[in-house]
Amino acid sequence: MILMISLATLLFAVYSMGTGSSSNLGFWTTVKIILGLEEGTEIQLAIIWDIRFPRILMAIVGGAALATAGALMQGALGNPLVSPLTLGVASGAALGAALAIVVGWSVIDNHDLTIVANAFLFSLIVVFIIIQLGKYRSISAESYILVGIAITFITGAIVSTLQYFATDAQLSALAHWSFGSLSRPTIENAVFVTMSLLFLMPTALKWSWDLNALSMGGDDFAISTGVDPVRVRKNILVLSALMTSIVIAFTGLIGFVGLAAPHMSRLFVGTDFRKLIPCSAVIGSMLMLFADTIGRNLFAPIVIPVGIMLSVIGGPFFLYLLLKRQGVRG
Amino acid sequence: MSQLLSVNDLNFSWGRNEVLTGITFNIESNEVVAILGVNGAGKSTLIKCINRILKMDSGSVQVCSSNLASLSLIELSRHMSYVPQTVRTSFSIDVFDVVLLGRRPHISWRVSPRDQTIVSETLRFLSLEDFAFRRFDQLSGGERQRVIVAKAVAQDSNLLLMDEPTSDLDLKNQITTMKKISKIVSKSHEKSALIAIHDINIAARFADRILLLHDGKIIANGAPQEVLTIENVALVFGVSSHIVPSTTTQPMRIVIEDEIKETEEEK
Repeated sequence: MILMISLATLLFAVYSMGTGSSSNLGFWTTVKIILGLEEGTEIQLAIIWDIRFPRILMAIVGGAALATAGALMQGALGNPLVSPLTLGVASGAALGAALAIVVGWSVIDNHDLTIVANAFLFSLIVVFIIIQLGKYRSISAESYILVGIAITFITGAIVSTLQYFATDAQLSALAHWSFGSLSRPTIENAVFVTMSLLFLMPTALKWSWDLNALSMGGDDFAISTGVDPVRVRKNILVLSALMTSIVIAFTGLIGFVGLAAPHMSRLFVGTDFRKLIPCSAVIGSMLMLFADTIGRNLFAPIVIPVGIMLSVIGGPFFLYLLLKRQGVRG
Repeated sequence: MSQLLSVNDLNFSWGRNEVLTGITFNIESNEVVAILGVNGAGKSTLIKCINRILKMDSGSVQVCSSNLASLSLIELSRHMSYVPQTVRTSFSIDVFDVVLLGRRPHISWRVSPRDQTIVSETLRFLSLEDFAFRRFDQLSGGERQRVIVAKAVAQDSNLLLMDEPTSDLDLKNQITTMKKISKIVSKSHEKSALIAIHDINIAARFADRILLLHDGKIIANGAPQEVLTIENVALVFGVSSHIVPSTTTQPMRIVIEDEIKETEEEK
């Protein structure tokens, strides 16, 4: 199943590279150009490699990272309603972005990266808070969620205050950032996210055992199999918060994929985290790629941000799958 | 015989409520030790303190000559495995994979063929091979309990800590499971079992030694025929009984007669 979805994602990525508002190359022409079997024009090559490839790579790795983060967090906190945005990482990133856009304050001087750097730094501050919380042996899964909600409220209040004093142009920029878009990342950004994911993913897979033990019978059962629930919960939350930070710093807020992809994966491969994590990753890639491709083509040349398209397309599909499963059970 | 577990002056309380007081006992290798006591006597709490699920207030525990506090959880789970009273979960994985979780302390990155062999052999040993690819959450309470026992056995630890491992089982499976546990303990040089149990006749039949817990203290520690006297049964369980001594074909039995009514003065 995972291989089939991976293959479908790959084929769809090729189709997506050949499709867009400026030029529709067709599937086979795109394949031939990618494989070097056909010499495309300079414009075709530029469209494929310079314009579409970075956003498609970002869609694949970003979707995989957010979906993996969602699966990890749902397992670590024992709560299927949790998404990568629950811990307040995204709210931290939004505050960083708002400071860069409205106040013009940034942690770095490079003008091109002020929003990215701020978003990343402020989401890392939230990761740091999670690490500090993890030092308390008595910290429970619910406490992490409640702290995440508190962080979201606090940062939300500060962002709202900044919005109150912002100009129309600043408000527009901030709103655009919060939609979540794949137009912003460059090829360097996409490669950085890819490398980060390749580095973090094996660790996530290694912890699938620990998540199985935690989900099986709670903390007592986990301890009896040598799993320290407090340490594992903290490590997994830090890992998923890092994955989320790395992606949303470049793309803006994209939340739905991290909630929906793990649930969709459960319908295909069940709850075993050894299968659920890789399956969530490929379904996350597929969802993000599909939503972005539709968003680029539906009202071309206007591009609808992927964050909006994910909710528009993914939401009803997600509901359909859940209702279908309930129907089967009933 | 070597000493697998040494508990010395263990104390535990929930706030001001003292649950365990001055608990001291040892377990040698090849011993099945049963903990008997009424509800709330501290049986489960004692097992959880030994397994470090709960942190004792004071006292010391030595496991295979190592101090409990100095062991990492991985080391600890190689020394002792644990069967909780119940596992209520909607987590849906195959029985084989549940038992494979018992190999978690021995696995680093990949499951080895040896781990898989041990799981298969354990399932066969406990007559669970037909369940191997059924979903754990679709099993009955008794079937789940047997699977969790299998997980603890597959862990291949020195000490099996079991919290009422037969409470959900039917009569036949209670006997079968206890026989298998006794067999595991007797056939290996460095294994023992500490089992919290409600059924005093099961304890009398299968335990080499019984710890009788009353009000958080051990009031008797010895062979079943020494510990399960009419007086002790009356004191701990509040019932009158008579003892049917063991014969060459039958283990000793405790026949419960009636509850002992408290007098007005005792109330």
